[in-house]
Amino acid sequence: MGQVLVLGLISGGIYALFALGVVMVYRGTGVLTFAQGEIGTAALFLAAFLVTDKGLPWFVGAAAALAFAVVIGCLFEFVVVRRMVGSDPVSVAVATVGLGLFLLAIEFRIFGDSPKALEGPFSGGVTIAGVFVTPTQIAALVVALALGFGLQAVLRRTDFGLGILAAAQDPAATRLVGVPLSKITLTVWGAGAALSAVAALLVEPTVGVFQPGYASELFVVGLAAAVIGGLTSLPGAVYGGILVGVAESAATRYLGDYNISGLRYLVVLVILLIALLGRQFWPQISALLRAADAGSKPTTTTPAGASA
Amino acid sequence: MTATTLAPRPVQTEQPDEVPTRRRRLPVPGVLIALVLAVVLPLLGGSTGALSDKNALLLSIACTYAMAGISLNVLMGYAGQISLGQFAFVGAGAFTVGIVTSVDQLRLPWIVGVVLAAAAGALLAFLVGLPALRLRGLYLAVVTVSVAYAAWQSLFRIEVIGGGSAGKVIPKPYIGNSAITSDSGILVLAFLALILVWQVDVNLTRSRLGRAFQAVKADEAVAASFGIDVARYKLLAFSISGAMAGIGGAIYATALGTVTGGAFDYARSLLLVVIVIIGGLGSRWGVVTASFFAVLLPDILIALFGTGFRGIDLILNAGLLMYTIARHPGGFAGAIEESREKRARRKGGEPPLPPTRPSLPALTRPRGMPPVPQLRSGVPVLQASGVSVRFGGLQAVDNAGLRVDRGTIVGLMGPNGAGKTTLFNAITGALSPDSGRIELLGVDVSALPTHRRTALGMSRTFQLIGLAKGQSVYENLLIAQHLAAPYGVASALTGLGPSRSYERDVRRRADEVLAGLGFGRYRDTMVGRLSHGQQRIVEIGCALVTSPELVMLDEPSAGMSPAAAEDLAATLRDMRDVLGRTVLLIEHNVPLVLDVSDELYVMDAGRVIANGEPVEVVTRPEVVTAYLGAAPSHEGASA
Repeated sequence: MGQVLVLGLISGGIYALFALGVVMVYRGTGVLTFAQGEIGTAALFLAAFLVTDKGLPWFVGAAAALAFAVVIGCLFEFVVVRRMVGSDPVSVAVATVGLGLFLLAIEFRIFGDSPKALEGPFSGGVTIAGVFVTPTQIAALVVALALGFGLQAVLRRTDFGLGILAAAQDPAATRLVGVPLSKITLTVWGAGAALSAVAALLVEPTVGVFQPGYASELFVVGLAAAVIGGLTSLPGAVYGGILVGVAESAATRYLGDYNISGLRYLVVLVILLIALLGRQFWPQISALLRAADAGSKPTTTTPAGASA
Repeated sequence: MTATTLAPRPVQTEQPDEVPTRRRRLPVPGVLIALVLAVVLPLLGGSTGALSDKNALLLSIACTYAMAGISLNVLMGYAGQISLGQFAFVGAGAFTVGIVTSVDQLRLPWIVGVVLAAAAGALLAFLVGLPALRLRGLYLAVVTVSVAYAAWQSLFRIEVIGGGSAGKVIPKPYIGNSAITSDSGILVLAFLALILVWQVDVNLTRSRLGRAFQAVKADEAVAASFGIDVARYKLLAFSISGAMAGIGGAIYATALGTVTGGAFDYARSLLLVVIVIIGGLGSRWGVVTASFFAVLLPDILIALFGTGFRGIDLILNAGLLMYTIARHPGGFAGAIEESREKRARRKGGEPPLPPTRPSLPALTRPRGMPPVPQLRSGVPVLQASGVSVRFGGLQAVDNAGLRVDRGTIVGLMGPNGAGKTTLFNAITGALSPDSGRIELLGVDVSALPTHRRTALGMSRTFQLIGLAKGQSVYENLLIAQHLAAPYGVASALTGLGPSRSYERDVRRRADEVLAGLGFGRYRDTMVGRLSHGQQRIVEIGCALVTSPELVMLDEPSAGMSPAAAEDLAATLRDMRDVLGRTVLLIEHNVPLVLDVSDELYVMDAGRVIANGEPVEVVTRPEVVTAYLGAAPSHEGASA
């Protein structure tokens, strides 16, 4: 049980970091982004080039990777999103699909599909509930929690943060009251990309190698986690990520004997459907629960209570 | 309110090439092309022919992408349902044909395998479509991504389905007793399958099915008001799309000979999105062209510029996707359409304005629809009683009721926010009230969905124009006749059977209405390009085209000039006196309401506060108070 929880928290922290990027962009622009995973992978390639090939310290490579991700995010906003003002958010979402494929294709073109190595910044680790936990894994969870609640506070308490929240709901009105809209969307796309790079950098040392498309496969889980968490709440993204992580590790623990491949994605699909449809049908479900509750009470004797 | 629309400027999916009175063309070009290919391709192939095995295989793959592209176009282009996991359906088809033709106990003929592949694709897509009944746009997109990953990483890696790491070996197809072993032979099969899918898609767009998809894409509430069962047509769109993708998958597997689960990865689903957007959402030939372009591009680049260009193709395609969606949302086909229209405009100029006072054509109830029930005397066309609707803390409609007798015009007035439209929506079934009873033509419809109420003999217009604005005037008049052509899915997809005569009927009727409205020259104009007043007239034409007993109009004069509003009054009287319709009218224009109504209801704060003879009702103190506020009493006015 403890083992399931620890393993779940480790992967949950990573999913939460990806989910935070998704929620950040969604709250600021109303767009769901599908490109963030590949932005993370692209950042990893730069870090690996600087650290593994050029021998620079990990933190230098990581900082450069972070900056690179921000540049990609901002460039995308500047070159593509800005020209799509007034179009349907789904159209912009499809454009992010294009960005993801674009980065993936460039990575394949330059590096091929052989794995690339990048050593993590720390060695050693501690054993918790029988699980060996590395410092980057702990860092991932801590950073996810800190960002989830910290960014929420920034959004709620600062003028700029409130501007971000307003921008997605009504861009025209937001502009009219003097909020610099273009600065806000640029910031949001940059911040979303940065969060993906953080997630990719913190998950990569667990295995130590990666290839094109690496972070996208984890990002998809983060995307689902963001939706499960409500898509508009940063703490919700963290909870969603941890929920999926723990569910995945529980499934692996108890269904591992059946050797089901891709168990992670089955778990994600099931939770996603439960969360989305459950929310849709919640009024009916709660009515049923209330009816069942009322029916089970000894004082209500009429069966008509169950259909109310 | 609005369903997912990817293109802000939607493209017409079909050239209005048919004069409606002409019989529908047979698919002669398709059959001809198929015959020529069947004869010529095998001759080109083999060791001596010009068509190398490698190129034949490549063209076969291009055909499968074209089929998958058409299938995604059905979902995204026609029905407005986004799918980022289309290759899961392709894979379902591929492995189905693999299993049923190779497993010892089955060893079914190849052609049966293809049919079952279509069924498997349809089934998987149907299951994905179920959440789509409740989820829209971006949420649905995330579900399809999850399905794509689950299919790729999990389902297709099950030993029995995907054949494990060795993959599934698909035996060479037999047609009769002869095995088709050469790549060019399989290419012929691939072309035939593509032509089949193409033709089904053509039939689809010309049928009530394709029109229902377009209406669902434009606006689900409007679609329901035309009698379209939105849930059913969403699931149909997914199923048909899945079947097409499944056929594509069967050909894909056959052409490759061996398939592994890894071949159906998420990136390929995304490439299909690229294909559909670049080709042009809703454009069949645009999508097929883009499919061939995307599949052949890698080899073309290498042939032209050398092996240094390996991998450049995907970079180009992804870049093109971003460019297209940002600058030319209509895609390749849309760009061509635009330039053609521009040329036509320069040459012909704008057609003259249609009259604002149309003469309404007298139409009988279409034969495809059940006759309007005979009413016993004293039974009203519409009786709503005790209707209450609460939105959170707001009691929008509070125990309201009204009665509309046959052959009358009943007006419904009230200040903004009085609950008129909400009551309207409760009557049409667009929302379900917390309590109350709606009787339409003597039938209790309180529990029926909108499309069933429409079928009984009701139609409505919307405050903000309930039309598919991306479609032509003519197309809208066809969409509005959804219930007048009640032929089945099979007839729609094959273009055979009852659909032919029903389509002739609805097309003739659409032309009659066009002529009556004086909109003949605007037949093929996109509704969104008309002025507001013109759109309103088209909408009224759509509401009348199936000769419903009750016509409900929500603020028809909104946005009209005073002169046009006067014409509207005449039109409304024509509805009653010439056509014999019954009209329920929400209207803010007081002179207009007083002019045409036989009876008037006034609502305020969710309640009906007065009803009776119009001119008398508007003078009642409670009505004056509702509109102008209480008269200040002289003593305490300043308090």
